[in-house]
Amino acid sequence: MRSTFMGLEASKRGLFTQQSALYTTGHNISNANTLGYSRQRVNMETTPGFPSPGLNTGKSAGHIGTGVQAHSVQRIRDEFVDRQYRQETNKLGYWQSTTQSISQMEDIMSEPSEFGINQAFTEFWKSMEDVVADPKDTAARQVMISKGQSLAESFNYMDTQLKQIQGNIGNEINVVTSEVNSLLKQIADINKQVQAIEPNGYMPNDLYDARDVLLDKLNDIIPVSISYEKSGGAALAIAEGSMTITFKPADGSPAIDLVKGKDFATIQTTDTADKAIDGNVDDPLTNSYFEFGEISINGIGGATAKVNYDQLESSKGKLAALIDAFGHSGGQGIYPEMLSKLDELASTFIEKFNNIHMSGSIDGTGNAAFDLNGNPGEAFFTGTTARDMKVVDGIRPEDLAVSDTPHEEGNNKNIRELAKLQSTVIGELQGGTFQTFYKSLIGELGVKGQQAATLEYNSTTIRLQIENNRASHNSVSLDEEMTNMITFQQAYNANARMITVIDETLDKIINGMGRAGL
Amino acid sequence: MRVTQSMLSSNMLRNLNTSYNKMAKYQEQLNSGKVINRPSDNPVVAVKGMGYRVDLDKNEQYQRNMGQAHSWLDSTDEALGQAGSVLIRVKELIVQAASDTNTSDDREKINQEITQIKQHLQDLANTRVGENYIFSGTNTNSPLFKADGTIQSSTDLTGLKKPIEVNVFDGIKMQINTEVVDLFNDIDTFMGELEDLLTSGATGKEIGDKLGVNSTDGTNQTILGLDSLTENVLAKRAEVGAKQNRVELMENRLQLQEVNVTKLMSKNEDTDYAKTITEMATAESIHQASLSVGAKIIQQTLVDFIR
Repeated sequence: MRSTFMGLEASKRGLFTQQSALYTTGHNISNANTLGYSRQRVNMETTPGFPSPGLNTGKSAGHIGTGVQAHSVQRIRDEFVDRQYRQETNKLGYWQSTTQSISQMEDIMSEPSEFGINQAFTEFWKSMEDVVADPKDTAARQVMISKGQSLAESFNYMDTQLKQIQGNIGNEINVVTSEVNSLLKQIADINKQVQAIEPNGYMPNDLYDARDVLLDKLNDIIPVSISYEKSGGAALAIAEGSMTITFKPADGSPAIDLVKGKDFATIQTTDTADKAIDGNVDDPLTNSYFEFGEISINGIGGATAKVNYDQLESSKGKLAALIDAFGHSGGQGIYPEMLSKLDELASTFIEKFNNIHMSGSIDGTGNAAFDLNGNPGEAFFTGTTARDMKVVDGIRPEDLAVSDTPHEEGNNKNIRELAKLQSTVIGELQGGTFQTFYKSLIGELGVKGQQAATLEYNSTTIRLQIENNRASHNSVSLDEEMTNMITFQQAYNANARMITVIDETLDKIINGMGRAGL
Repeated sequence: MRVTQSMLSSNMLRNLNTSYNKMAKYQEQLNSGKVINRPSDNPVVAVKGMGYRVDLDKNEQYQRNMGQAHSWLDSTDEALGQAGSVLIRVKELIVQAASDTNTSDDREKINQEITQIKQHLQDLANTRVGENYIFSGTNTNSPLFKADGTIQSSTDLTGLKKPIEVNVFDGIKMQINTEVVDLFNDIDTFMGELEDLLTSGATGKEIGDKLGVNSTDGTNQTILGLDSLTENVLAKRAEVGAKQNRVELMENRLQLQEVNVTKLMSKNEDTDYAKTITEMATAESIHQASLSVGAKIIQQTLVDFIR
């Protein structure tokens, strides 16, 4: 036997459920521009039909519907697209950072231009040729000394500037490392809240969104894998559970947990001297830095792990890009390589030039270099690196060993040897001249920069594509929400009208029946 | 595929950004006049550009060296030319002295002129370019003839007969001085002997015999060679002339190379204005189109129509 008021109950449920849906629509509209927000929908389902089966149940047609209920509120999200997005974010993070490192280097080297080392070499050579043309001219000799100084200073400048940028990159490694730690902690915090909420049968959709935003940020820096651990209690089947983040070393070593439930690991990026990389000069004597040693992970439950360079996935994540620029594994990396090539160039030039200036022959075994006073030539440059290259203090114009015989002021034999050095092929410099060696450095840098820029552009395009794909699933469409709003509003109205109708039928029974003849 | 407002607006922003990037690139090319501004824009162009710059600077320097070569060779030519014409005057004086119609007084006067000419020839041997004595080999501080009129010896000055060379191109050098120490020495000795002969009181016949003026076969000739000296001077002048020619050829070559390298450099890295301005105009109209279309798309939603 059915209840008199069953219809009222069914319509009341309808009212409440439509209202929930309407509120959710409101929530969607409010968050249309929230970063990482996924649109939500109320999953409606019918309530169990009447009558429910039982021995004493009367025989009647059934089931009669008893109305609707909101089963759950769910966010609309495609995990597969998310995965793609994060993979591409890894690459984009790497190439974005690499492009920046290289472009800063290009700014400093400033080639091709009318200044820079290439031009300094040429100017120095020109000043020597002027001495060739007039060997005893004090002015020409003085100019040659000045041009030598400006060549040395060009090397000094490059060295200082490149190291300064290298230091900035070291500092960025430090910042990025703390960012990773902060992200891991925040994700663990959200996990903790999720673990508290889900067993009650609720869906913490907004927390999921916040967690995914953090995960995207984390993937920009380091590539990580994720898995989920379901909550217990009355957790819904569609609840996502707490997120476990693991780092998989590239060499196949066991994966390291970074976040598991409410626990999280902290990482530290250390140099070869086991000190945190912070961008401060490590060796004040040479104004240089110790290269990247390892990432040490203070893991969950006191476990510790070390990740060295070979265990980092190549070309993925900003941290790897910064380490590649900063230097690792015994002098590798964009900045250390350029610095050491410049040192090589400077030291070879200093050695060969001094050899000729002191002995008249490139290997330093001769006695055919004499200054204006008939004394054998002495060193012109001092130093062995780009950093400390310098023209010998107090060298005077008459000290230049221009002649190959003493007391021949018009003899320009040795200065011609010195000038020739510029276009001499040097075995130590990959069989190039000083300038072609430098030119090849710039060429190599340019190719690297171009490659990085191209890959950055590609990754950006692909990620945009994926981002669009993702937005197509989860972003709020105002038109759609408007339509939903009307749908739910009308349904709400219709439910209300239903209640009025049932009220009228009840009125008939209660007030209209049994009053015949009155 | 489901498309939402945020997708439209982010797409629009991205497209606007792309067209701004393009326009910025064109603008940079137009402003700087160069198609590249950093090596990664185009590594090949950058490296080539560095090479061309070195070539041009070298060319400039070699052309400057040419100036030095010119002034040395011109001065040498001038000095030798004068020496040649002075020797012709000496010949006239000899013929005059060999004539018996002259008295010893006349010979005395001829001798005076010979002494002056000898002095003049020494001055010619001490010709300077700037601060440099050009006939003293690499000992450019020392005049070839000392103040007392004696010639420098190779034992005192090791560089007396050494060449001075300048570079005129990669690996090509040219000697700019001319070795005339022996020649001037011979001339000076000859002039000295001539003086002695004229002051010895010899007769015109004796003078003529000793100098070989009287006979063509050289019988009785004891003082050799005015004619061969003149010939030697001419030979040296010819050598200098050949060098001058070579300098001019080299100069032409350098000028040609300068034009060529400049052209190549320009072709390599200079902005093609016609092309870039056209591309800029295209980019601008695309940008305008995307702006106006974007503004229209984003203007309205369903909200505008629900009442």
